[in-house]
Amino acid sequence: MKKKIEKLYCLKPFLGDKGWIEDKNIIEPYLLEERGLFRGSSSLLLRPKNSKEVSQILSICNQNNIKVVPQGGRTGLCGGTIPSESGEEILISMERMNVIRHISCENFTITVEAGCILSNIQEESEKNNLLFPLSLAAEGSCTIGGNLSTNAGGINVLRYGMARDLVLGLEVVLANGEILNNLGSLRKDNRGYNLKHLFVGSEGTLGIITAAVLKLFPFPNNVETALLAVSSPEDAIKLLGLARSASADLLNAFELISRIGMEMVLRHMPGTKEPLEKQYKWYVLLEFSSSAKNNLREQMENLYVSASEKNLVLDGIIAESTQQRKGLWLLRDGLSEAQKPEGGSIKHDVSVPIDCVSIFIEKATKAVEQHIPRSRVVAFGHLGDGNIHFNVSQPINADTNDFLGKWNEINEIVFDIAQNLKGSFSAEHGIGKLKREELKKYNSSIEVNLMHSIKKSFDPNNILNPGKVL
Amino acid sequence: MKILVAVKRVIDYNVKIRINSERTAVETNNVKMSMNPFDEIAVEEAVRLKESGKVDEILVVSIGQRKVQETMRTAFAMGADRGIHISYEGETEPLMVAKILKKIVDNENIDLVIMGKQAIDDDSNQTGQMLAGILSWPQGTFISKLEVVDKNASVTREIDGGLETLKLNLPCVITTDLRLNEPRYASLPNIMKAKRKEIVEMSMAELGVEYTNRLKIIKVEEPPTRSEGRKLEDVTELINILRDEVGVL
Repeated sequence: MKKKIEKLYCLKPFLGDKGWIEDKNIIEPYLLEERGLFRGSSSLLLRPKNSKEVSQILSICNQNNIKVVPQGGRTGLCGGTIPSESGEEILISMERMNVIRHISCENFTITVEAGCILSNIQEESEKNNLLFPLSLAAEGSCTIGGNLSTNAGGINVLRYGMARDLVLGLEVVLANGEILNNLGSLRKDNRGYNLKHLFVGSEGTLGIITAAVLKLFPFPNNVETALLAVSSPEDAIKLLGLARSASADLLNAFELISRIGMEMVLRHMPGTKEPLEKQYKWYVLLEFSSSAKNNLREQMENLYVSASEKNLVLDGIIAESTQQRKGLWLLRDGLSEAQKPEGGSIKHDVSVPIDCVSIFIEKATKAVEQHIPRSRVVAFGHLGDGNIHFNVSQPINADTNDFLGKWNEINEIVFDIAQNLKGSFSAEHGIGKLKREELKKYNSSIEVNLMHSIKKSFDPNNILNPGKVL
Repeated sequence: MKILVAVKRVIDYNVKIRINSERTAVETNNVKMSMNPFDEIAVEEAVRLKESGKVDEILVVSIGQRKVQETMRTAFAMGADRGIHISYEGETEPLMVAKILKKIVDNENIDLVIMGKQAIDDDSNQTGQMLAGILSWPQGTFISKLEVVDKNASVTREIDGGLETLKLNLPCVITTDLRLNEPRYASLPNIMKAKRKEIVEMSMAELGVEYTNRLKIIKVEEPPTRSEGRKLEDVTELINILRDEVGVL
């Protein structure tokens, strides 16, 4: 490895102290997966400041067969940024490429470098009364480069789509060091194959995204948030249709919360309180938003009236202030955190067609409870886009390691059920290191073969993020 | 027993305040408005008293443009019974509000007034005290605990040295502090029912209150921005800077 690193020495003066790092202590956090699932090894971390530096690095790496692992904010959940244990890979962190290059209120676009923190992009847009809608739990530390290379989802997918739907142009450094400058802001552009979409979601295996042009929207200053109690996911789905019509499609969130999840949040998250007078089996957190002064409040009330006439809604509340809105969102946002003190949790990020969500939850819950009696299914998430975080908490007082030892068995049960309903075993978290086997198992061989040939033509020497995705 | 609760419609607590271009007022156009948080606590306390069976009716009073009725409906949805809306276009002042409330207290035979200790827009913190003054009623301000037994109200106040408990004769005026309670969410069934509750709208003249504004806003401006800080290596560097740059040592 040392010899290989020597090949890169010519770049050391250009990259400088901040860009060339061999200090083990500094590198250490770049090798760890947050939850301790993976730990890699690497003796060199490069932090380029511009696309040209990225290009020079890749060019040398490609000629000398040096494998590289691109990194953003390292908040992914599938180990896509963790190098192998061999120590034969170098790290390229994009964190220093963090300039917001341009914002255009006429184009409704923002041009950003890959290392920009997502929340900074949101804030910069908001200053111009515009919205960059990508929003997810890690937004304070994840980078847009990571968001794009993993095609991140989050809470606004229902209304605005995934990261892929928000990108107009990309600047990408290819495996051989060539810079593909495709930073256009065209909304219509049919010049042949749409290459940028190959890089979005490729998890750094086809090229390194260095900058992007992103779509912006009018900022929705007017928001109405409600929490409604429903008796089943089936009713929640019926409510979804009503909500979209009632709001003239201004619905921007529709999140399902189960009673067991709600209880965990109330137990462990400070600042939360039982929202309704009585307890209910299922809740939906929904939100209408608009940049204009629409009668959102009236629409929300009308939705409640018509849904309760149909017995779809049992009770509910509307946030009367932003403070209350925060209180309601905490019930949803606290769900992941609240599962931690409950012991081991086996997690799934699946999606199924919306009309199958209810049957999926029913079947998967039954199968899991049969396999591990007294295990506690916490199903929640973005019902509005068919994405369910189907998590299984260990039985109370059970041995955590024993329980987590059944990770693969439970995965298989849940993924098989999703697959039979024409669903996906990875809705928004991607493949990384974690789900490569599943990719082979659940995707058709035609798809897998096509993916391999794409990989080969973009990165013939397999230097870009090896051991990930495929 | 009849309780009067005064509520004010203010810019939502979480909204970033902007000053208008003439620098005469805070921008309220297309800005989210909510009930003053201290008033929300006052409503909650009144509703709890009613739920304990000690109170027959909760009367909500608000002053301002038509939109304040939305805020009154929130109070209704939480459990208040009926409302009086004093229509008024200008800026309210503590003495004006106190005079209006006094008139309503007299007309309605109120036994207890609960109100927020201050509104988060002008932070005056005067109205409750003025009202108690012109009514010649006892006052319990900034309370964090309230107990009503027979003709007395026992209130706890958080003061510098600890907790102070006062016993007041009813009728009296009480102003709420943040720790008094945690207001409930208004439920949708109650929000719908609240639409049918009665609001009587009248002007100050109709109520029989005359008032000329005494306060004049000269200028509204942003607080000075703080200059950027910097991180120092050690105490020696700090001392050097204090001596050489700041000149305080």
